[in-house]
Order: sequence, then C-alpha cells, then structure tokens
Amino acid sequence: MVKARSIPGKIGLFLLIILIVTFSIFPFLQIISTSLKYQWDWGNPSLIPTQVNPDAYKELLNIGQDEKNVPQSVLDLLDDSDLTKQQKNEILDKYKDSSDVFPFLKYFRNSLSLSTLAAIFSLLLAIMGAYSFSRLRYRGRAVIQRGVLFVYMIGGILLLIPLYRIAVALGFLATPAGTFTALLIIYLVQTLPVSLYMLGNFFRTIPYSIEEAALIEGVSRFGIIWRIVIPLSWSAIVTVFIYCFMIAWNEFLFASVFLRGYEQLYTLPIGLRSLFVSKNAIWDRIMAGSMLTALPVIVLFMAIQKNLTGGLSEGGVKG
Amino acid sequence: MKKTRSLEQKEAMLGWWLVLPATIIILSLILYPIITNIISSFFKVSLMDRDTFVGLENYRNIVSDPEFWRSVMITLVYVVGTTLGTTLVGLGVAIVMNKTFPLRGLVRSLILLPYVAPVFSVVYAWKFIFDPVNGIFMDVMVERLGLFEQRFNLIGNPETALWVAIVFSIWKNFPFTYLMILARLQAIDKSMYEAADVDGAGRWQQFRFITMPELYFVLGSIVLLRVIWNFNKFEDIFLLTDNLKVLSIYTYFKAFVGVVDLGQGSALVILQFALLIGFILFYVKKVLKW
Amino acid sequence: MKRLALIALMAIAVLSMAYANGDTEAAADSGPVTIEYWTTQTQSDRLATIGVLVDTFQVMNPDITVKVIAVDENQMATQMNTSASAGTLPALLEAATPNTVAFGTAGLLNEAAATDLINDIGADEFYDGVLKLNQTGSGGNYYSVPFHGWVQGIWYRADWFEKAGLNPPKKWDDIIKAAEYFYDPGNNQYGILVGTMAEAYAEQCFTQFAMSNGAGLFDRDGKLIFNSPEMKEALEYYAELAQYNPPGPQTWRARDYYIQNKMAMFFYSTYIMDDLALAENAAGSLTSENFAELAGTSFDPDLVKNTRMAPIITNTQDAGYGTIVSLAFPDTGNAAETAAAQKFVRYLFSPNAYITFLHMAPGGMNPVIKDIAVNPRFQQDPKGLFENYGTDKMAEIINGLDSIETFGIVDGKRIDAASVIYSKQIIPQMIYKITQEGMSVDKAMDWAEAEMRKLM
Repeated sequence: MVKARSIPGKIGLFLLIILIVTFSIFPFLQIISTSLKYQWDWGNPSLIPTQVNPDAYKELLNIGQDEKNVPQSVLDLLDDSDLTKQQKNEILDKYKDSSDVFPFLKYFRNSLSLSTLAAIFSLLLAIMGAYSFSRLRYRGRAVIQRGVLFVYMIGGILLLIPLYRIAVALGFLATPAGTFTALLIIYLVQTLPVSLYMLGNFFRTIPYSIEEAALIEGVSRFGIIWRIVIPLSWSAIVTVFIYCFMIAWNEFLFASVFLRGYEQLYTLPIGLRSLFVSKNAIWDRIMAGSMLTALPVIVLFMAIQKNLTGGLSEGGVKG
Repeated sequence: MKKTRSLEQKEAMLGWWLVLPATIIILSLILYPIITNIISSFFKVSLMDRDTFVGLENYRNIVSDPEFWRSVMITLVYVVGTTLGTTLVGLGVAIVMNKTFPLRGLVRSLILLPYVAPVFSVVYAWKFIFDPVNGIFMDVMVERLGLFEQRFNLIGNPETALWVAIVFSIWKNFPFTYLMILARLQAIDKSMYEAADVDGAGRWQQFRFITMPELYFVLGSIVLLRVIWNFNKFEDIFLLTDNLKVLSIYTYFKAFVGVVDLGQGSALVILQFALLIGFILFYVKKVLKW
Repeated sequence: MKRLALIALMAIAVLSMAYANGDTEAAADSGPVTIEYWTTQTQSDRLATIGVLVDTFQVMNPDITVKVIAVDENQMATQMNTSASAGTLPALLEAATPNTVAFGTAGLLNEAAATDLINDIGADEFYDGVLKLNQTGSGGNYYSVPFHGWVQGIWYRADWFEKAGLNPPKKWDDIIKAAEYFYDPGNNQYGILVGTMAEAYAEQCFTQFAMSNGAGLFDRDGKLIFNSPEMKEALEYYAELAQYNPPGPQTWRARDYYIQNKMAMFFYSTYIMDDLALAENAAGSLTSENFAELAGTSFDPDLVKNTRMAPIITNTQDAGYGTIVSLAFPDTGNAAETAAAQKFVRYLFSPNAYITFLHMAPGGMNPVIKDIAVNPRFQQDPKGLFENYGTDKMAEIINGLDSIETFGIVDGKRIDAASVIYSKQIIPQMIYKITQEGMSVDKAMDWAEAEMRKLM
C-alpha cells in the first residue's frame, strides 16, 4: 500500500497519528506526573510538577531506604518480655527491614510466570482446537464450537464461589503449587473460548489450497499446523497471546481470593491494591506503582510487536 | 468407497482429539458453577444453615423492580456505544497504522499502552484528569478557555458518567480491536489493490470493494466478542464511576454487598445471561444476517 | 525464527514456574496448631508491627503459629463469604464491628468464644458503649470482642472561622451558615465535605445528623420507624448541606481538598490526625530556599496548627459517631484453633502488646479498655498527638467512644436487622438518589423503606 502521497495528505496523516498517540498516552502522562509530585503539589492541575520528587520510586524499589525507626512501645514490649537477647534482636531486625513495602520483583516474577504460562497453554490448546473447528469435519463440531462461546457468556462474580469451592474440595489450595495451578487453570478457562473463536475465524481465512498441496505431498496434519498454519497466522497468534497474557496479568478478583493465604505468590494487581487501601496520602506511590507495573509489559510488547509488522506478507504467501 | 470413509473417520477422530483438551477444561470448570447457579436461583441460600426452596420468588423480586429495567436500558446504551466506538476507532487506527511512516514501530507500541496497563491504575489517572477541583480538564475548560461557567464532576454526575464510561472503554479496548484488524489487513493480497489501481478505482472504492469484504468476518467476530465482554463488564465501570448502574453493578449491589445473597445473585446472573443471549440472537439475525 | 521465539517463551515460562514453586514450598512448616488471623490493617508498616507482636507471641507459645493475612476492608465480605462456603474460615478476624455483627447474625461466628474472652478480661474493664455495639440480641452475649476505635467529627479551619466571626461547627445552624459562607466555587473553594457517594462514608456522616435530631431506624421493640418527620428533617438538612460540597458525588478521599486549602470543613475520623502529621512531615521537608517557588501553590505551612475538631453535633440532642474495630472468632468447627486464637487475643490485650498495637496509628486507634486510656505509656505516642492536642482534648476524644450512637442500638438494646440494612448500604444509596439524581426526599424515603422491609 505504499503510494506516493500528496503534501496535504502527508500532513493530514501526520496530524492523525499525533491525535491517535495523544489520545492513547495522555492518561499515562498524568500517571507519571502525579508519581513525581510532592504531596503539597497534588492540588496543582498542571502536569508539570512544581518540584520533581523521586521518593515514591525510591521507596517502592527500596533504593536508599533507611531502616525503620523502632517506636518506644515496641522496645518496651520486648524489654518487658522473657525473651532472650538473641530472640529480641531477631524480631527487631525483621521489624526494621523495610524492603517489603512493595516487593516489586517478587510480584513481578509471580505475575510474569502466571501470565506467560496461562497464555502459552491457552494458545497451544486453542491452536489445536481452532484447527479442528476450521479444517476438519465431524459430527458435533458445530455444537462444541457454539457451545464454547455460549458458555463464556455466563460471566462475572458468580463463578467465584463455586470455583473456589471446587478448588478447596479437590485440595488444590493446600499447597502453594496447587494454588498456582488452580489459578492457572482458571485463567485458561477464562481465555480459551475467545482464543478458540478468534483463531478459528482466522484459520478459516487461510487459503486451503496451500494445505492441500502439503497433504498431497504426505505431510501429516500436525506437520501442517506446525509448518503452515502457525507461521501464516503469526500475527493473529501474537494478538491472541497478548489477549490471554493481559487477562492473567490484570486479573484481581480470583487472584485475591485464591492467593489469600500465600503472600509469596501475590501478583502485581494484588500488590498495587494493597498499596492503595492504606488510608494515608499515597497517590505518588500508587501512581509510581502503576508505572512500574505497566512498564515491563510495554517493553515486552515492544519486543513482541515486531512480529506484528511481518505477518503474512513476510511469510511470502501469494495464493 | 470404503477407503474414503475410513479417511473421513480418521479425520473426524483427529478433529475430536484436537478439540478435546480445550473442551474438557472448559466444561469441567464451567458446568458445575452453571448448574449450582441455576439450582440456587430457586432457593434462599444460607451460608451456614440449610437452603430453603422459594420457587420463583428471586426472579419475581427482580422483574418487579423498576431499577432493574433501568439498568437494562443503561447496559444496552453502554454496550452499543462501546461496541460501535471501539470498532470504528480500531478500524480507523488499523488503516492508519497499515501505512508506512517514520517511527511506525514506536507509534504502534505506544498506542498499545491503554490495553496493556492495569485497569486499576489507569482508572485513577482518569479520575485525576477529570477531578472537578484539581483535574487538568476542568482547569483548562473553566479557567483557561472559559468554555464552562462552573466546574462540574464529569465522572461523578449520573448524566455524564455513562458517556465517560463509554469513552473510557473505547480508549481501553480499541488497541485490541486495532490489532485484530491490522492482522487481517496485512493478510490482504496486495495484488488486488494493484489490479484496482490499474482499473482506475479510487481510494474509497478500493476500501469499499476490497478492504471491507476482506474484513467482514473479522469485524463480525470482534463486535460479537465486544458485546459479550461489555455486557458483563464490572470492574472498569465500578472503579471508574462508582455508581453507574449497569446490570453487573446492579447485581453487585443487590446480592454481593455485605452478606452475600447467593439465591438472588444467581437469579440475576441467569436473567443477565438470558438477556445477553436475546441480544446476541437479535444481533446475529438482524445485523449480521447470518 | 518465530518457532524459536515460541520455544524460548515456553522455556522461560516453565523455568519461572519451577522457580515460583521451589520458592514457595519452604514456607509450609507448621507447628501443632496454625491459625489464620485476618486483619484489615493492610499497610506495610502496620503489618510490621503486627509481625513483632506475632513473633513475640510465638516465641512464648511455640505450639502456636499465627499466620497474618491482610484483607482489604472492601474485600472482606467477598473473602468471608467464599471461605465460609468452602469451610476455610480463619480462626481470628479483625474487622469493623458492623461487619463482625453482620457476620455474626449470618451465623458465621463463634459467639461463646467471644463472650468467654470478654468475661475473662472483665466486662467492666471495657467502655460500656463499646461493648453494647457487640452485644447479641440475647443479653450478656457478644458477637465479637471490641479492640480499638475511632471517633468522627467535623474538622475545620479554626483561623478561617475566627476571621469570619463564625461559631465552631457544632449546632446545625452554625454548620450550614459556615458551609454557605465559605462556599465559593468560582474561586475553587468549597464549604464542607459530607458523603454523597453510595458507600459507607455517607452513612457515617448522615447517622450523626439523624441522631442529633432524634431520628432512628427502629424503636426499642424492633419496629421499623424509619419514615418519621425527624428523619425527613435530617435528610432535608443533609441535602441542603451537600450543596456546599465540591461538585458531584463525594467521599472521604476528597479530604485532600482540605489539605490543599480548598475546603473549610470536612467529616473525618480521628485517623486524620495521623494523615495531618504526615502532611506536616512532608511540609517539613521543604527548605526555606524552595519556599519562594511555592507562591501560588495550594500549600499552607500552618494548616495543622489551625485545624480543630468538633466531635459532637447538636440539634434537638447531642450526637457523636465512631466505629469500633473488633476481634471475632469465626466458627471454624475446630476447638484447638479457636482456643489458640483466644490465647493470642488474650495476649494482644496485655498492656504492652495493646499499646504497641494502638501506637500503629495514634489518634486513629484508641483503646476500648478504660485503664489503658490513662496509661502514661499510651499517652507517649510516637506522633506526639497528646502533646499537640493536649491530654484533655485527647481524653475527650477517646471518651467519645463510650457514647457512639448507631441505628443498631436503641435504648441500649441491639436491633439485628439494622446491621443488615447497614451492610446493604441502603441509606447511602438513598442519599445518592437525593443529592445526585435529584429524587425528592419523600420518594427516596419511600424507596429506602421498601428496600428495608424486603430485608426483614
């Protein structure tokens, strides 16, 4: 579609792009602005802080933080108890350590593993299922195909209680690994219907003639999926991957209930929320936390999105 | 004859095997909740004691509440507004992003931002922007440009909250629509446009007769998915506007505030489900004409 | 190339899963009894203090492991309901009393355990009014053990009031006069903040007005008397007051406008003392040299000095309001767990542990035990509030806990239905309808009454 454009056309395109970008990123400018303002500056409507305040980032990333002051009441409590000196010191050291305000790296690692796994499993199952929908003929296909989406329409908060009940009854929540798995399966269920549907629709648009040629050459169905279908629908697969990843990355309700007992498994949305519910004035920290949560995803997708530019054209398909 | 049949059977078997894992996972986890929901919608559910059967009372309670029907109307406006908006914006952006221009990679990444950022944080950024007292929007509109006499609460006022929620949803979700459409746009055979150029077809004609038919399928499914998603949307709206009574929020207030009333909640979800099915059947029949 | 990328991604994912699991298995060591303690104290510094208490307790009681789980107040109902349905209730729960009472009336709590513990400490050690809030319908039993509490009042700019020659905001007339006087939206300044969003804060503000006009939900026999002339008068007054709010539905978060000098009065709990101390702290970080740049911003270094609180509102009678946070023993069906939880609570009430706990949020967390309020160690709080506000003023505030009035207690008798009405947020929704959707007071009251009847 590369065509010679007229000068006004170019300017028009340029303005349009500026408009789109501004629309997309304006709220993020607000986030950055607030995260860098002092508390006394929050009443200032301008996006430019009167004075730049990096403390929120320092605190969340635990850079240059002093040890916490120990209040007198804690010292009294320990002094009046029968604890040994060593026991007292252990307790005090644990108290003074301030690295747990927002264990960003831990939350990030948990979120990343959960989301990546959920997205990959969802993709694998969906590629198989969608291929089956779009290429193979068998009885019951239409029922499954529609049923999957149909089932997806029961939404919302009401799935929470029954699913939690199942997970407890099957003993999933007794161990951290089981809890992780249970949540992973739930994210799979939440994303699979859409993955199946979107990929199924996309596969259908790939000309069957290419596959026919391969079939005649004796390539197996799995070979076709692996060597023809996946490369040809790469951009759709990446899109579905992003979709699944984002569902798991941002999900709060199920994560908060299922992970409740396992602090070491908390994900970023839970961490962000617990930052928020403190009643003190903390907008700078919340916004800094939001930035830190969004940033890795942005970087990740900037890397992935190169694959979107290629797509079919790069695969060299010419009918 | 016999040989082809066995090939068909083999294909059918393969089809089943391929779709089986996904189907099992979905069914095993969704079926039980659905059945329990249907059952409990006929009961007054108690968390500790035994449930009591109340027949259709939960349903009667809901249907006789005028607020319920009002939230149905609000939900319809929300769903139609967001679906149309998201699709149109997504389509427009996809067409622009399919052109070549400098820094295209960066721009394509930047406009993914609304989609990839956590709802929770962007909601508060929006609240800051539209804050009646401290927000930049009111400051510019009232103090700098003087467009309005008085500051007002754009997100808070019930009349404007719906429109803010719609714009927010478009902003949050258009990147996904754009990605889906772009993926399809790139798959369109370039030679078709070249041929059209030779035939002297204009831009609009090319869009109308080449691009649109190619996108038809993808647009249809995007719209369908968006309808389903936004019909049940809870968190975005709840966090942004607090009290815009779409169905999911009506359900939340009715059954999930304080001690949960599962019977009432189940009945509501089932009604919500029925409405959604009705809406979709209407859409598929009248709009898509499938 | 693309397949390589896919394989690489999978490898990362599998590795990270192994990592996450390997990391977590170590945490599963347990003593003979492990109990879960859910607390609504979610801030990390408060959790660190609770950590000290738990660690000390565990050293003294090696058989008991206390697992602290922070649950956000707004999430409490969801978390309790899911775990009740799956039989995974915690052994100990710290939550606002309206919530514990609501859970109690739903049958989720072990009342005997709470009653035993209160009698063990001595019922007369507690403030009377505080115990009443936890009482079950039958005399002498309690849903939960009161633990600490805050008092609400109108916080105001004493210097602005003085300059304008206005009376402190105590009587209805004075409050509305001041709200009107300071309301100047053209200059982005507002008179007062009362809750108009459909959430608990609106009910907290309104309750105090209703009580000061002698309006209740029930009479002492439990009959619904919501639709009374007194209630209507209070609502009309409240709606008028809400006109001097910042635009649109508002909740406690708008207290920021006060700190920014854009508001004259606001309803808030004594927790604001902590926040104000924080604001002062933040202000302290400014050096004189960058003060010059601050001209024109909304920063006022004298804010804390000029802030006063009016805890009592008066019309036909005096009324105070506050909330008690209580400790409840959910019915886990496991006697060993409940006994361990009781032991831990007993420890939390020992003077040193108790003062340590209260000092997490001076001003916000006030003792429900009379002796502790006058304990010199308690009065040496880390934020210096007793010093700033004076021992007398602090004593007055803490004593306010004794006279908290809610719709749930009529003449010292608990009305269970009131807690359900509270938890369903009917009054906040009604206030929203009147102040934001423009519904008439009569119509909104009819709506609320019908909703209340449905719950009874």
